Amino acid sequence: MDKPVITSPTPKTITRGKASAQTIIGRILTYVILIAGAIVFIFPFFWMISTSLMTRGETGLRVLLPKVPQWVNYTNAWRQAKFSKYILNSTLITGGTLVGLLITSILGGYAFGRIDFKGKNFLFGLFLATMMIPESVTLIPNYLLIRGSIIPLPGGTWLNSYWALTVPFIANAFSIFLLRQFFAQIPKELWDAARMDGADHLRFLVQIVLPISKAPIMTVLLFGFTGSWNAFQWPLLVTSNDKWRPIMVGLWSFVTEAGPETHLLMAGAVISLVPILIIYFLTQKQFTQGIATTGLKG
Amino acid sequence: MTEATQSVKPEKTGTTLRSIRTKEQITGYLFVLPAFIIILIFGLFPILYSIYMSLFNWRVTKGAFIGGRNYLLIFGNWTNLLITLAGIALIIAAFWVWSNAFKSLSRGQTFARIAAAVVLILGGVVFVTGWGKMYETGDKLFLNSLIVTLYYAVGTVPFQVLLGMILAFLLYQNIVGKDLFRMIYFLPYVTPSVTSAVVFQIIFSRRETSIANQIVGFFGISPQKWRFESTPLLNLFGANLSGFAAGPSLALITIMIYGVWTFVGYNTVIFLAGLGNIPKETYEAAEIDGASRSEMFRHITMPLLSPTTFYLTLISFIGTFKAFNHIYVLREPSAADSVITASLLIFNNFYRSNQFGVATAQAIVLFIVILGLTLAQNKLMGERVHYG
Repeated sequence: MDKPVITSPTPKTITRGKASAQTIIGRILTYVILIAGAIVFIFPFFWMISTSLMTRGETGLRVLLPKVPQWVNYTNAWRQAKFSKYILNSTLITGGTLVGLLITSILGGYAFGRIDFKGKNFLFGLFLATMMIPESVTLIPNYLLIRGSIIPLPGGTWLNSYWALTVPFIANAFSIFLLRQFFAQIPKELWDAARMDGADHLRFLVQIVLPISKAPIMTVLLFGFTGSWNAFQWPLLVTSNDKWRPIMVGLWSFVTEAGPETHLLMAGAVISLVPILIIYFLTQKQFTQGIATTGLKG
Repeated sequence: MTEATQSVKPEKTGTTLRSIRTKEQITGYLFVLPAFIIILIFGLFPILYSIYMSLFNWRVTKGAFIGGRNYLLIFGNWTNLLITLAGIALIIAAFWVWSNAFKSLSRGQTFARIAAAVVLILGGVVFVTGWGKMYETGDKLFLNSLIVTLYYAVGTVPFQVLLGMILAFLLYQNIVGKDLFRMIYFLPYVTPSVTSAVVFQIIFSRRETSIANQIVGFFGISPQKWRFESTPLLNLFGANLSGFAAGPSLALITIMIYGVWTFVGYNTVIFLAGLGNIPKETYEAAEIDGASRSEMFRHITMPLLSPTTFYLTLISFIGTFKAFNHIYVLREPSAADSVITASLLIFNNFYRSNQFGVATAQAIVLFIVILGLTLAQNKLMGERVHYG
């Protein structure tokens, strides 16, 4: 399969001479809908930021903007909810997960894409099948596994530990699938040439394949990052104190404890969003392209 | 190596070739091993273990073996399940009759349709009977959660796919600021679901000054309780319905709005990619043949985009059945069971009530329901997909 073209040039607008007035109205309508859509999508963000800068009194009124931006809300929220601890936890968890994920998915993707071994297709199908399984099914046994009730774990139990939040996520079928699709397209001649020079698979992978695979690897990293940063259900289950509680669980406990302090809540929400936004704006093109790649049959 | 009769030279190359192949095999296994261990332990093993757990009276720790009794709690008794399944089988049969039977007869179409309609009605009646009996004697909460889940899926998937398609078509013209639009549309999808759900929590609060109430107030509608409202929407407008026909509660509709808001951008991006993959030559050729824009849309764009539509519908559907985070955040005790989807109920049974055995049995049933619905969708939609 070819690499899917994402930001393809728009096709020549197919118009006929007679319909110029109609086209103008059409174009105006198009922009009106697009802008209306944009407002709907952006409004909650605007409102979140605006509210995060209001006084408590203002949040109960029908106002859209604060009179004087209350930047102090951020320091208050930050202090009340131990956000520094949560963000540090999430950073460490995300970092660890990504390192593991890279290793397993690069090796796995390479093996499935470029090495012939017995049972390969069966194994690959088995991996892919796990993508369809709802978490409801795997959640409970995984909880018991992490609690150390099924097999003995080093340290007894992994509840409230770094391991519980990283180890189950250092491999997933989706990342392997993504990289396999890319690795399988690399011309065979490259491998033949490398083998002539006495390279084995590992050396070929590290020296030839990886340097030309930056884009798909970046996609795996981005998906891994958002998945890990946004994780909620699992960390809620396996952490019961702040020691390893990640940002989303932290935000949620802040919500349940803060009560009617809407302005502080919104400040907290903004804080939890900032790292994702930075990554998104920096890698925007890669992000949408990566998503689009996964959406096309390959 | 035991082939001593062979001459020396071929045997040697034979062994080296074989050893190269063995080495290749071993490398393959070694490369897959790290991922395999993790996926085996945390992805595959839990499925089997769930089935195992569901057969025990398992609270926090394992109790006595009780066979299918956890499942029996759901269905009431096995007869109910059999009747319901028979209903489903009849509906499938109706579909089969519709598409296959009487193909050779010239007037077969009409016969087939009448026969199919009869079988379909019969199947529907049997299914509803079985379901009603299950609802009477089985686990009302769980069966209700399946209905809520279905409402949620049916109330979000078509909208997000359709809106995504429309926005993608519009963006796929010569649009100034196309990249900016796409970036904005995609923003809700990248936003952590807990964060955006917390914002929606407040936008759709029952306060008279909440944004949602200000917006409906603009259209002359009185303030609503939104997330807190367990009354079905239709009944808010004066209808007096109950059961399945009453439809989703306003609280669930709030969650649907959130769902659509989050996923439209994702659909837009994928549709855009799908549109980009349609060869421009096709349009040029059609234009030369004198096709109008709407003809091109109907005979080129829609068929060539159908795999994308199919893919999006399928994964969105599975996604709604798995949805957890935002529903967990947006749910309000006063909305009662009207927002508790299956995945939430299972989580509560496990996390709050420590009913591990019951929860795993419910999870297995949910999984089978998802599997069945996916297969049905595959069959129904899959045949209309055009793989060019």
